[in-house]
Amino acid sequence: MRSIRVSIPLAATLGVMFSGSVGAAFADPVTITLNSWRTEDIAVWQDTILPAFEAKHPDIKVEFAPINTNEYNAAVQSQIEGGAGGDLITCRPFDVNREWIKRGYFESLEGLPGLANFDKTSRAAWSGADDKTYCLPVAAVLAGFYYNADIFKELGLKVPTTSAEFIDVLQAIKKDGRYTPLAYGSAESWQLAYNGLYSIGPAYWKGEEGRLGLIDGKKKLTDPEFVDAIAAFGAWKPFLPAGQESLNYADMTQLFTLGKAAILPDGSWDINQATSTGLNVGVFGPPVPKAGDQRYLQEMPDMGIGINAKSAHKDAAKTFLDWVAGPEFQELYVNAAPGFFAMSSKPVTYKNKLAQDFADLKKGAQLTPRLALDRLSAGTPPLDDETWRLLQVMFTKSDVTPQQVATELQAGLASWYGPQKK
Amino acid sequence: MISPAAAYRNLLLFVLPALAVYLVFAVLPLATSIVMSFFQTNGASGDIFVGLANYERLFTHPTISARFWNALLNNMQYFAIHLIVEVPMGLLLAALLTSGKLARSEGIYRTLLFIPATLSVVIVGFVWRLIINPLWGLVGFPLLGTESTALTTISLMSVWQYFGIPMVFLYSALLAVPNELVEAANIDGAGGWTTFWKIKFPLIAPQFGLIAILTYIWTFNGFDLVFALNGSAPGPNYSTDILGTYFYRTFFGSSGQLADLDLGAAVATIIFLTVLLVTAAYFWLIQRRLKSYSV
Repeated sequence: MRSIRVSIPLAATLGVMFSGSVGAAFADPVTITLNSWRTEDIAVWQDTILPAFEAKHPDIKVEFAPINTNEYNAAVQSQIEGGAGGDLITCRPFDVNREWIKRGYFESLEGLPGLANFDKTSRAAWSGADDKTYCLPVAAVLAGFYYNADIFKELGLKVPTTSAEFIDVLQAIKKDGRYTPLAYGSAESWQLAYNGLYSIGPAYWKGEEGRLGLIDGKKKLTDPEFVDAIAAFGAWKPFLPAGQESLNYADMTQLFTLGKAAILPDGSWDINQATSTGLNVGVFGPPVPKAGDQRYLQEMPDMGIGINAKSAHKDAAKTFLDWVAGPEFQELYVNAAPGFFAMSSKPVTYKNKLAQDFADLKKGAQLTPRLALDRLSAGTPPLDDETWRLLQVMFTKSDVTPQQVATELQAGLASWYGPQKK
Repeated sequence: MISPAAAYRNLLLFVLPALAVYLVFAVLPLATSIVMSFFQTNGASGDIFVGLANYERLFTHPTISARFWNALLNNMQYFAIHLIVEVPMGLLLAALLTSGKLARSEGIYRTLLFIPATLSVVIVGFVWRLIINPLWGLVGFPLLGTESTALTTISLMSVWQYFGIPMVFLYSALLAVPNELVEAANIDGAGGWTTFWKIKFPLIAPQFGLIAILTYIWTFNGFDLVFALNGSAPGPNYSTDILGTYFYRTFFGSSGQLADLDLGAAVATIIFLTVLLVTAAYFWLIQRRLKSYSV
């Protein structure tokens, strides 16, 4: 730790000297750097995105400077606190970023014209305690259900829209006996939460209403809408493959891609995997409790970009972010990285058909991020972690009721989270 | 003729390079980690000395302490299975290898039996996960997905991988047993069973004790196989969580848990003490009293 802190003033001094000399030699163009954890995106940025931007703004040069994913948070923190760091910083969603905002790392983006392209929910992951937005939303992931269209056709099934229809479809596939209804297992508990409960649950707890209610302390996990959601998720159990307790994420994806299972509850990031064997795959959104109810869809913010408060080139950085907010960047990025979705309210065209289908699920649906990642997991026990664990217990033991799961979740949260204490 | 002082100086000179590496890369990190466990390093105002507060949190916070005791108990079970299965298995195989019954195929068996110990844990975990996979494997029962069987299953995978180590260790000890003693016992009318337990085993008892305590150290520092199979929050319901994964989760964080460096340092210190005290106690109380027979 100490050695890093000592070395930063030195690095910063060198950096200033370097940029100073460059500035003296060429007054134009301005070079700004962008820090990111997506080392795998380096080619996308250098070959596609940045040339497109620089063609429009020849006076600004952007340098993409990724840092290893696992070291990203620590590296950014020590750089910025030492007065260095890129002009543009890629932002983690929710709690990590809220801490960064609190420490004054970012310049507020209020007043940036492009910000109007994003609604309040999309900006929530990068807002501070003062409700101002500090990072521009870049990409999100969605969760839904992939289905094998050929199996649906063979068995004469229609894509379900309500919870009752969903269970009927599963029942029909089970009765036929040739295919596993759901390619789903509980060995990896994270996906019980992310691809299961947090996907179908928002329809019960009314998305943001329930999520923000928990954050404000106005709602409890033991309220009927949360217990009903957990019960609706628990109702999947009879339709899982034998031995599901030991099946991990790779097993379930494989079961689906081999054509042995009809439905795969999964995230949009798995688009390439789910279609890798050339199956005729479609996608549908989480069912609603009753016909005619409002539809909800999980949209999990993944990354945003903010401006370093200590940057010397804030105007150039703002010009860049305004371009990032527009449809040109959004289309370039999401098509280069299928599975990632633009959060902008402006329409974006996806070249991958399944990605377009996934994006179409957003129409008419209210969007909501994963239930427990905003504030509710910043203490011990973290609500997210407890949700994984207790859903896994519910799926691996026969005598655990949804009510018990909800009671234990609430007790854990209320043990440390202020608004829920009482 | 070199004076004693010069001899010591030379000695120091020869030891110095290794000592420097050892101090910088083993003793220093250990010491800083212990020091860190008495500090609060992530506050806004820099490092603050907090005394035993991290330890208090570790042992009194309802969730943190419950998970810690769970990991410790699991680790004891993990060690017990190794001690009960792996070490005796190593002894049995070493006895068979040195019994002379295998004649010329002894070398082949020795090599075959040792091969698993040379594999990467990731491969061992992957292969066994497939073998016992309810969908594609041989066993329909979800061994790894059931709380009551998961830890035993992982322990036995580890036993399968590492029994070659005690085997080779005891094998070389048995080879050192002088043939005259065995022959004398035979002449006195002792059978194979009696010869082994009355002659050979007492002679290798110190090595047997050593491999038992090494097994203790290895299992209490265990981490890799559990992590390879079940990640940093090993389920179901933390039933396969051991001290190594508990430490990893605390220090580095997992996707569901924020990293807490200071608490992690406290956990590391407790693991270090657990291993140190038991090992020291073993050497003081038992190993010293094991008679080593000289022939």
